[in-house]
Formats: sequence, structure tokens, C-alpha cells
Amino acid sequence: MTAGGGPSDAEAIAQVLAGDVEAFGVLITRYESGLLRFATRMLGSRDAAADAVAEGLVRAYRHLATCRDPARFRTWVYRIVANRCKSHLARRPIGDVSLDDVPPVAAPEDAGEGLERSEQLERLERALARLAPEKREAFVLKHLDGMSYEEMSVVTGARIPTLKMRVHRAREALLAALKESP
Amino acid sequence: MIHDLDPRIHGALDGELDRAALTPEERALVERLDAAARALSGTPVVPGLSRRVMGIIRRPLASPVARFRRWLTSPQPVTLSLRPVYSLVIAALLAAVLWRGPVPAPMLGAHEGVAQFVARFPEAHSVAVVGAFNDWRPEATPLADDDHDGVWDARVILPAGQHEYMFVVDGERWVSDPLAGRYVDDGFGRQNAVLVVRPVRAE
Repeated sequence: MTAGGGPSDAEAIAQVLAGDVEAFGVLITRYESGLLRFATRMLGSRDAAADAVAEGLVRAYRHLATCRDPARFRTWVYRIVANRCKSHLARRPIGDVSLDDVPPVAAPEDAGEGLERSEQLERLERALARLAPEKREAFVLKHLDGMSYEEMSVVTGARIPTLKMRVHRAREALLAALKESP
Repeated sequence: MIHDLDPRIHGALDGELDRAALTPEERALVERLDAAARALSGTPVVPGLSRRVMGIIRRPLASPVARFRRWLTSPQPVTLSLRPVYSLVIAALLAAVLWRGPVPAPMLGAHEGVAQFVARFPEAHSVAVVGAFNDWRPEATPLADDDHDGVWDARVILPAGQHEYMFVVDGERWVSDPLAGRYVDDGFGRQNAVLVVRPVRAE
């Protein structure tokens, strides 16, 4: 059981593998929002992200028996969705990450502050979209999904020093974007 | 322009260096990057994603042999458009779907329409229609063949818009509607038929 009272990932996976298809819904509910945020930042489009996440979750279900360590389902499913995102990006022209449909900005406390935040967010989104996909992926996994470098290594297949370098470059690009004049 | 940040700042952001050890200027940069990450961490909402995934995984996976057989036997859209008999049936189905007149269902909303599903399966003992509108559950929407002529039908109130669907024959055989005008690949080796439901306008 988890702290929230539901079955653990390993328990839910065992139920699915025993024939209880509906138990997969527990895993979807648990990871859907994080995967959607990750895919949206990778692809720049909520619709494309929804497709990538849906495809990834279905693949995860179909290959659930190959998940060697059910307690680490999170990194396993992130890896599948990350690969779906790479496939989507590979079908686009190089560097083409649209920003047509990114998550909305949180409601501002006052209009002036909200406008400033909105402009800053737009600069950040553009800076993130301009990054090479592997740097964008590393930054999102580290700072938006809160993964350790070890977990990121499982998701991406890259070595930890490589991932650190990607995150460092991404941070510097975003900081530079924040310093740009509006 | 990308510039090199002090390694101490990266160390603090990576949790390898206590932030209390940073200078005020360094801490300000760390907090700025923290704020940037928070600003980017909004989560998009995609209604129905969970239902979409569960709907797909509840469906049995077609075997390669079955997929090949279906590819051989399923009529292609271009074929339908060249055959007058099929065209007449499609036109009749479309007319039924697009018909905006009064409908018998008393609870029909302004943003809903009536979809009529018709299929000919002379050998079948049961036929159902499945789609995202019923979570792809075969037991939810059965078709009826009251006069036992092999033509099964059902009328369903659906939200206006585009709906993907399939027929389930005898509870186990998933079949694309051979008379549908449009199909989409569901990305997993199957072809879903597509139906557009027009809303009934409020008086």
C-alpha cells in the first residue's frame, strides 16, 4: 500500500499481470499528470503530448511483464513516453517545437504582476523550446519532475556526467532568457 | 546568450552544496532558477485521457494473422465510393445521422444528436457497438435484430461531434464497420470507423 492508501506500483502491476485489467487505471491516475507535463514540455503541444502519453501507456500495458523492477515503474514508463516523444519529434522538421498549446499560467494575484509573470513564462518557454531535445529532456526531468540523476539515467539511457552537463547548459540558457529585455 | 554559471550554483541546485554556503548573489541566482522551474511546471489538463487509454487496453489485441485477414477482406473507402449499392446504403446512413427533425428520445439536449448504427451480420448471435462514448465496453450498447434478417441496428444519443467506433460480433470479434465513410488508424494496428454526429438545434 502507498501513503495515500492505494496499492503500490508493484501491487497494481501484480494485479494487472494476474488478469485484472482495471488495476492499470491506478497506475494511469498516479502518473498521468506528470507524464503529460513532461511530454507537453518536450513537444510544445498538449494534443501531441496527449497522443504520446496515450501511446506510451498502452505500450507500457502491453509490455508490463517485461518491467523488471515493478517498484521502479515510474522511471520505466517515463522511458517509454520519452521514446514516444522522440519519435514524434523525429517526424517534425528539426527544431520545430511549437508553443501553441502549452499549459496556462496560474492565476496572478494582480494584473501587473500577472503580465510580468506571463512575459517571463513566455521567454522561458521559448528558451526551453530552443534547447536541443536532450537538454530540454534533462532539465524537465530534473527540475519539473524532480528526478535524481540516477533516475534520469534510467529514463534516458545517458550517463550521469552527460546528464549533469545537459542540465547545466539548460539552466544557463533559461537564466540568459530571463535576463533578456521584454 | 548562454554563459557559464559558477559550479557552486549548479552544486546547490543539485543538492550537493548547502545553500547556506552561497553568497547572497549566488543564492539569488539559485532562487531565480527555482522560480523558473516552478513557472514551467504547470500541468496541462487533458480530459478523457485515462478513459482513452483504458478503452484501448480493454480491447483484445488483434493477432498478426487476423490483421492480415482483415486487410484482405475489409473494403477500402475508395471501393465504397465506386459501388452504387454501397453508396446508397451510406447515403441512407448519413441521412439518418444528419437528420435534424424531431426525435423520439425525450431527453435529447441541444448539443446531442442521434447516431444510428446499422450492420449486416447474418451469422451473428449478438452485435454491439463500442467506442469512447461507452468506454469501449461491448456490453454497454447492443444492437438488435428483431426480425432475424441479419441486419442489426441501434439508435444512440451521443454528444455532437466526431466519434470513433467498432462493432463487436458475438462478444469477441472486433470488426470495423465496412460501410463507414471514414476510418482512422488507432495506432495499434486497427482501423476505427468514424461517425460525425450533428447537434439537434434548440427550438
